[in-house]
Amino acid sequence: MIKIDALTVRFGGIKPLDELAAEFVAPICGLIGPNGAGKTTLLNVLSGFVTPIKGTILLNETSLLGLSPRRRVGIGLRRTFQQELVVDELTAVENIQAIADHVSADRASARRQVGLALDFVGLGPRRNTLGRRLNLFERRMVEIGKTLIGQPRAILLDEPGAGLNEEETDRLRRLLVKIPSAFDSQLVLIDHDADLIASVCIETLVLDFGKRLAMGPTRAVLNDPVVRRAYLGRE
Amino acid sequence: MTEVSKTEAIPFVAPARAEITPAIRAVAIVAAVGVVSAAIALSCGGYWLSNFTQAYCMTLAVLGCALLYGQLGLVSLCQWALVGAGGWVSLRVYHTIHPPFLVTILAGGVGASVIGMIWGLPALRMRGLYLALVTLMLAGAFQTLVTVTSFPVGGPGFLGQVGASGNDRMMMARPVFASSDTEYFLFVAGVTLLCIFLVEAHRRSKPGRAWALIRKNEQMAIAAGVRIVFYKAWAFALSGFLAGVAGALLAGLFGQLDASAFPPTSSIVIFIGTLLGGYEVWLGAFLGGILTRFVPALLIDLNVNTNVGFMIFGAALLFALRDSLGIGGQLAMLAERLYKQFRGQRAL
Repeated sequence: MIKIDALTVRFGGIKPLDELAAEFVAPICGLIGPNGAGKTTLLNVLSGFVTPIKGTILLNETSLLGLSPRRRVGIGLRRTFQQELVVDELTAVENIQAIADHVSADRASARRQVGLALDFVGLGPRRNTLGRRLNLFERRMVEIGKTLIGQPRAILLDEPGAGLNEEETDRLRRLLVKIPSAFDSQLVLIDHDADLIASVCIETLVLDFGKRLAMGPTRAVLNDPVVRRAYLGRE
Repeated sequence: MTEVSKTEAIPFVAPARAEITPAIRAVAIVAAVGVVSAAIALSCGGYWLSNFTQAYCMTLAVLGCALLYGQLGLVSLCQWALVGAGGWVSLRVYHTIHPPFLVTILAGGVGASVIGMIWGLPALRMRGLYLALVTLMLAGAFQTLVTVTSFPVGGPGFLGQVGASGNDRMMMARPVFASSDTEYFLFVAGVTLLCIFLVEAHRRSKPGRAWALIRKNEQMAIAAGVRIVFYKAWAFALSGFLAGVAGALLAGLFGQLDASAFPPTSSIVIFIGTLLGGYEVWLGAFLGGILTRFVPALLIDLNVNTNVGFMIFGAALLFALRDSLGIGGQLAMLAERLYKQFRGQRAL
């Protein structure tokens, strides 16, 4: 469970996050909002790349503030980035092994976890293919595979569906819903695809100008007139 | 982690491609370096054998430069100064305690490795042009230092300086098993081969993967649990070690080193060699090192001003910079294509 309270971030005169309070309890939670709402800033605060001026963050009762980004990785926080970041010169298995090198207890468990992650995302047959030869969907799968290594407690995915076609998004959807039970971890998902959020996320937080606009069961939130006006641009 | 059901995996239809395995790559490295070295040893003598020995030393320096640039995207322009530092350390160790030659080489490597790590400290904050300029200034500072202190060779005392007459200068002896020029060349080729394997082992293991993540995106690397400072320092240490070994081998070749032999421009030439040869594959460093020594040696042999070499390198760079592969990378790609065609034909 991720619990945020009074979280405030200031960049000069701008407050990307302003007195934000929320609790992510469900196994899969969504995070939506218009461009500039503060979604990625919240992910950056959670993973330690942005320091808030105020507030608290708890991950399963552990306070994250004060922990370095590496320490947060150590306690099971994983994330992907908006920009897809697969290393072209490394194979699919090496890309995933690269995180196992630093978070797995020993070589044997690293090898086992990498194999499981590759199979889980369906890249087993492409394990020795160089990153530059993988298509966009496969590269997204490598990114997700990396987050499954080393007993993740919370996985933050920043727009994993960006650029995927309908069929690929459907495959992504089927994969995401299995992660919490298969890896005993919580998933927080940012995406602009409201259909993906609606079909995957149990709870959703809506941000607008760094403030909480709504939070609750995803269907109810997406049907909220205030949310529809602010985010979807229609009643 | 709970057990994951493999039956739920989403299958891909694309088959796995036949990749070149580490064992095949190792055989290719030994074969290529072995054949070239044997050909040089059998056909060259005197002037050209000495130059090819120096070229192999250059290869080690280029290998270190390519490691930093290819793995981390860091431009280091003090590589030749580190060669000098390694040579200085090995000479001092040799003349002070007279250890076996291999220990002398290791001492040179370790000494330059420590210096390289210290010089790499700016890289923890800098990249690109700024790092290049700072390291170039360090190379200039090194030349000033060794000129002012009269590069210590075989004289008495800690600094090992010789008198004005130079009569008390002592020479560093080559190892007993490599006393002749040809034997020493083959010895240097063997050390070069070992260093290539050392770098390849790094590139294909934990540090290589960490460097690849750092080069791609530092934030992503941190999010993968990589210790950025540690792995950057490791790369500088390894790069310095290779340069130091090169310096020790040069000291063994000539028996001494001269202060004027380490100008900052040589570090720039090494970086040019890195780009020309290609920094992504070992073959690039091998060819880059040979080219950076072969061209000036050829110009001297033809009685042409060696500065013409800069014009030749400049013109060659125009072609090499069309892609990041360099000559070595393009040759490696060609070899890989031929190998896969051969494998494909055999499978049919």
